[in-house]
Amino acid sequence: MDAKDILGLPKTPLTIPQEKKSRPPKDSQRKPDGISREVYMLTGGLAPLMPSLDVSNLKRRPQSENEKITWQWLPFTNSARKDNLQLYHWVRVVNSVPPTGDYSFAVYNKSVDVIKYTDEEYEKYLTDPEWSKEETDQLFDLCERFDLRFIVIADRFPSSRTVEELKNRYYTVSRTILTARAPSPADVSGHPLVKDPYNVAQEIERKRALSMILSQTKQQECKDAEVLAEAKRITESRMAARAAEESEFPATPNVGSEGTFADTVSPFNLQLSSAAGAPISIGDNAFIPASLRMLRVYLRTYALEQMVQAASSSAGLRTIKRVEQTLQDLGVNLKPKVPTKAVCAEHLELRKEILTLLNLQKQLQYKEAESSSHRDNSYAETPDTPKRPNRIGDQDRTFVPDSVSFGGERSGKRDQKRKGTARISEGPSSPAQSKRARKLKSSDV
Amino acid sequence: MYGGDEVSAIVIDLGSHTCKAGYAVDDTDNTEKNSASAPDSKNVVKSFESEKTKGKRKLYVGSQALGFRRDHMEVLSPIKDGVVADWDIVDSIWDHAFRECLLIDPKEHPMLVAEPSSNTQQQRERATELMFEKYKVPALFLAKNAVLTAFASGRATALVVDGGGGSTTVAPVHDGYVLQKAVSSSPIGGEFLTECLLKSLESKGLTIKPRYSFKRKEIRRGEFQTVDVDFPNTTESYKLYSQRVIASDIKECVCRAPDTPYDEVAYSNIPMTPYELPDGQTIEIGADRFKIPDILFNPPLAQTIPGMEYFADIAAALRGLPQMVVESINKCDVDIRRELFSTILLAGGTASMQQLKERLEKDLLEESPQTARVKVLASGNATERRFSVWIGGSILASLGSFQQMWFSKSEKKKVVIALSNGKFVLILLSYEVGV
Repeated sequence: MDAKDILGLPKTPLTIPQEKKSRPPKDSQRKPDGISREVYMLTGGLAPLMPSLDVSNLKRRPQSENEKITWQWLPFTNSARKDNLQLYHWVRVVNSVPPTGDYSFAVYNKSVDVIKYTDEEYEKYLTDPEWSKEETDQLFDLCERFDLRFIVIADRFPSSRTVEELKNRYYTVSRTILTARAPSPADVSGHPLVKDPYNVAQEIERKRALSMILSQTKQQECKDAEVLAEAKRITESRMAARAAEESEFPATPNVGSEGTFADTVSPFNLQLSSAAGAPISIGDNAFIPASLRMLRVYLRTYALEQMVQAASSSAGLRTIKRVEQTLQDLGVNLKPKVPTKAVCAEHLELRKEILTLLNLQKQLQYKEAESSSHRDNSYAETPDTPKRPNRIGDQDRTFVPDSVSFGGERSGKRDQKRKGTARISEGPSSPAQSKRARKLKSSDV
Repeated sequence: MYGGDEVSAIVIDLGSHTCKAGYAVDDTDNTEKNSASAPDSKNVVKSFESEKTKGKRKLYVGSQALGFRRDHMEVLSPIKDGVVADWDIVDSIWDHAFRECLLIDPKEHPMLVAEPSSNTQQQRERATELMFEKYKVPALFLAKNAVLTAFASGRATALVVDGGGGSTTVAPVHDGYVLQKAVSSSPIGGEFLTECLLKSLESKGLTIKPRYSFKRKEIRRGEFQTVDVDFPNTTESYKLYSQRVIASDIKECVCRAPDTPYDEVAYSNIPMTPYELPDGQTIEIGADRFKIPDILFNPPLAQTIPGMEYFADIAAALRGLPQMVVESINKCDVDIRRELFSTILLAGGTASMQQLKERLEKDLLEESPQTARVKVLASGNATERRFSVWIGGSILASLGSFQQMWFSKSEKKKVVIALSNGKFVLILLSYEVGV
């Protein structure tokens, strides 16, 4: 808005976008005159971004009648030349008056201004143990001839000096002369030569690094790649071996679990052994476990997860869910909040016990289902409408033959569960019961 | 910014096999340039055998003149080992080019002469002297071949691989200047390959009859009979020259650079290509098709050709083309190496061999560092590759901003005086281009 104020433009933003909106749809449909529709469609139907040939220019411009235009082969002078050589070229002559003015290309004769020092200045400021006066003179002469193309100058320099040496000498001399000639240091402090001095050491180092990169041939790159791949394989195999070792311990229940944590308590030892295996030269942070080992960090939660997974690997996904459900009903977090050694141990214990419980319950159900199906098959009667089983009172299965026919299996199972309920009367079973009760509810639609 | 201004300059490129001369015009119109002809730089000397004029020589120049057999005619080349050895011959070549081919008067035209990338001071002086004293040109400029090739492709920085008749030169150009310390050259050029092919064919029992040595008579309609004609006074060098002409034609038609290094066993069973010689004989060429170009990449291979054993002592020091390229680049400053790797230009007659570009690229990919991208560029047109130096000169001489760089006679006087005073002024040496 301030810009508009400064420029004196009116502040009317509303009208402009509307104009813009109305214009483009109109433009795309209209085609410019002078071009046939097919040609215009070649461009995609839109106006080109850059202004193309103006159509009016294509028509022959009517010759201005009074002028007579001829082309003559005339000599010309070039102000960029030091001698007065005259070459010839074609010139458009109008009315027998040759054009005046300098050669049109003379303006392109630009060169770099290289500082020229006198002999006294050299004696005063510029003497250097490594550079003789002749060499410095030669250097400056070449700089002027080749417009500070240092690579070419280094190539043409009689003695073999590196590019960095030449640059260093040139910039040092120029800077010294500049500061010496300036009336006060403040004047030249803004000059680029004085402000950013040429850093020889850095340049040499940079070039050395660059040459090392560029000198690696393809075979060397292949070998490096092979070595890296081999190392990666080694570390991965070691990691897998270590994980396998750890997962073996939780399989032995109860007694062994303490032992596993005792083992993992000494993380440093473990890391040392694994770190020694992995070649240190890799340092490749792409492998997180490797890097963690390097940093000597041991995540107990990570290890716990692995153990839990290993423990529940024998059970199916549904069972795992049921275990977790049980835990939640018991009011236990799925992951212990404070993963100390003892807590983790107890957590694992609990999980195992729940798993065992669920497995036993499942087995019981199957057994009872089998036995009930045997019995029911003996009473093979056509089923009536399936009666909703009376949950509460009906304990005697034998007097409810109908119930087994349709939802027979289910009711049988329910009976079994009720029977199971009757048997198990401990604490942990109550959530199981309520779970089953919930299951019954879901099945009773 | 390409501003052209025609001053009717003439561009001359004196090579060891051919000399190219023509008008420098703005556009790279091939017909314009070709019409100015490419006369053969081989020269012919006839020695009179009379008491009065003993030692007098008459020189015949041009492929036309050379095509006609004369008694006691020797074939001489002015260029030996990449430098001009006989200036009289060069003089007559240029005279022939100006007077008979281009039909111009040298006094009216500035001359742009292309010189080899590693030319000596003395050679330059001779060339300048010849031009100014004899032909009285108004202005002169000596440009290096490699620079002109780079300009022909529109680049100021490139690595130029010039495969010419007499030698192969690898020269890096940076910002329009040749880096002298990194130029490397090898004597294996087109002529050498032709000689190898000739010897190889002879060893297989195929004789190539020079064109003058037979006549074909039509016995019946469509059938020809070859009759040998004997010219006892024909010199050996002329015979050799005539045979070489035919062999080089075979080479250009039939030879291809192999995709992998040549192996005797692998290539022993490839199908043969027929070629009809001028005398009607048809020869079959098999493994030689690939063996001869591979000499560029593997010089010791030439020793296996019977008749070429003398090459053994030189071959040890020679390196193949990819190695030369990598060596040359490694001698340059580190900063420009990447750029040089990605702009490698092929020029010259030998470089127009088929599949040479692909093979060179493939070999270089193995030898070069991984981080550098290797790209070999060559114009698709084989004629353009052969004349790329001339084309570059033509472009340069017609630039508007080049017109200040011409070297005129008055300046030359300054140089002569300076040189005679003993002061080592490098004006002549440094006349390179900084456009």
